[in-house]
Amino acid sequence: MRKKNIIAGLFLTVLGLAYGYLTTGLPERSLPNTPGPSFFPWIITLCLLVLSASLTLQGLRMEAKTPGTDKTGQHQSPAYFFLGLFVVFLASLPFFGFLFASIPFFAALMLCYGEVGKLRTASISFGFPIFLFLLFRDVFNIPLPRGNLDMLSSVVNVLT
Amino acid sequence: MNMDIIQGLTQASMPINLMGTAIGVLMGLTVGMIPGLTISSGIILILPLTFVLEPDFSIALLLGLYVSGMTGGSFSATLLNIPGTPSASATAIDGYPLAKKGEAGRALGISISAGFFGGMFSFLCLYFIAPLLAEVALRFHAADLFSLVLFGLAIICSFAAKSLIKGLLSAVIGLLIVTVGQDPVMGTARFTFGNANLLSGIHFLTALIGLFAIPQLVSSLTDKDIGTAGARQKLGSILPKILDLMRIRRSASIGSAIGAFLGILPGVGGPIAAFISYDYAKKASKKPEEFGKGSIEGVAAPESANNAVTGGALIPMMTLGIPGDPVTAILIGALLVHGLAPGPLLFIERADFAYGVIFSFLWANIFNLVIAMSGLRILVKVLAMPKTLLMPAIALFCVVGSYALRNSFFDVYVMFFFGLIGLAMKWLDMPVVPMLLALVLGKQLEEHLRVALTSSKGDISIFFTSPFSLFFICLSVISIILVFVAEHRKRSKVST
Repeated sequence: MRKKNIIAGLFLTVLGLAYGYLTTGLPERSLPNTPGPSFFPWIITLCLLVLSASLTLQGLRMEAKTPGTDKTGQHQSPAYFFLGLFVVFLASLPFFGFLFASIPFFAALMLCYGEVGKLRTASISFGFPIFLFLLFRDVFNIPLPRGNLDMLSSVVNVLT
Repeated sequence: MNMDIIQGLTQASMPINLMGTAIGVLMGLTVGMIPGLTISSGIILILPLTFVLEPDFSIALLLGLYVSGMTGGSFSATLLNIPGTPSASATAIDGYPLAKKGEAGRALGISISAGFFGGMFSFLCLYFIAPLLAEVALRFHAADLFSLVLFGLAIICSFAAKSLIKGLLSAVIGLLIVTVGQDPVMGTARFTFGNANLLSGIHFLTALIGLFAIPQLVSSLTDKDIGTAGARQKLGSILPKILDLMRIRRSASIGSAIGAFLGILPGVGGPIAAFISYDYAKKASKKPEEFGKGSIEGVAAPESANNAVTGGALIPMMTLGIPGDPVTAILIGALLVHGLAPGPLLFIERADFAYGVIFSFLWANIFNLVIAMSGLRILVKVLAMPKTLLMPAIALFCVVGSYALRNSFFDVYVMFFFGLIGLAMKWLDMPVVPMLLALVLGKQLEEHLRVALTSSKGDISIFFTSPFSLFFICLSVISIILVFVAEHRKRSKVST
């Protein structure tokens, strides 16, 4: 029994059922013998259910991997930390803008990847996002998000 | 000579476009040689730039990166025994023993020359086959096009996955994602949940950035290969001797032919072509016993195959709009952003541009030879570049790239969401390439299916009465059955 396949198979079965349920709400075409907007989603639902059932069955029939051969579970904490960092960065992006959100994010990532030089971390994490911001704004005419700086200035006003 | 060909050549040879090719080649050699960074990562780095640059320049840049990334991979394979790209794995078998003998320069010179040979061979294939194939493809009706796209998906599921079910599931999930947004025939909103951002669907470039970059960034956290090893080998003379070139002509020819042919098939890609050509070159060699111990033929065959794959993969991309690998999928995306849809009509409506792409590919191969040969000693120093700088830079480029596509935060969140999907798929051993192809081709697949069925008033025999359609359906079924049988046999062997 291979747990991963069974979990994935069951999850995809649920996904297929939910997708099928949502497909029932799609409008039908009035012309006879012509496929409407729900035609293709029905095919996908069918394929998804058949394949996920096959994956579940395969998982049940297959022998489990011998302990030690599956290394995907090892060293997970840096990955979780990285993903958490990314989530915080994405959440802060609309408020602080690209520049102010990227500097600490870049520094944290450098440390995360094993950088030890503090001066190097500080200079690069300041320099690189500023360079990127100016490059896109002035050379490529793509203004990267500036964030809700009004909010920041109002906070400063309240404090002062 | 046809006016379009002359215009294409002129366009590709304009100084600005040549500069784009040269920059692309430099970047490709750099990302290709750093183990752990793939050509796709390199493309992601420059993707946001291509949205604002001229299409000719963007394509020159991307093609330069694509071609030279393959060559760059062989540098670290030879010097460190760590393939820079998966395609360079076969090169390490003989390249590294040569380097250990103190002949690193000779091995690299041979790999660059063989790569050039393979690239030029595939350029000729592209130049002569692509327009002919486009002409044939123009005769395709909706049913034929549906079967062709289905074949592309079927073959990529067969080749790209260790398990056929997982490959097919990956493609089906991709198709499911494609149905989000307006349907391609009637424009009805589907699965948008009232969210206006979802009306135009999920841009496949955003999905692609997440699918490829996030899992790589995560795996690099524990990967010690990236940027930790400097190039310590003494290179010696790089320029290959005439005698060496004469010796590799057979293996380079085998590699080029296999690479160009396999490149045309979606999903087969460089690694498979490199190993098959290595095997054939060994069988055809007068000194097969030298293979694995530092044979220059063993370096030439996979390297010529790698570079021949690039031109081969451009053939279905340019003529049928079917990408052969993630890089050609991104190329399609870059063209679509500029309002240019790859496919047979490209050779009719914008033949000058189509030939421009072909000649940019030629220039990319020439620049690859010149820059790699002349700058090798400096370029290998990049192998010491620290990942502490590279990886955060890639992370920021992922965000910038997704945002710049439509100036939308929503795309950045979608990118991250797809990154999580990519991680889940990696955990499950599920290949992402079929999903990627489904994301690129899904809309076409549905559109052709519905148009064909509408024209036949719902009669599905339309897919079996057209010879082209029948041919592609048979090929799809055969490719799936073959993999199914092979998997079944493998399982039976293991159980006995």
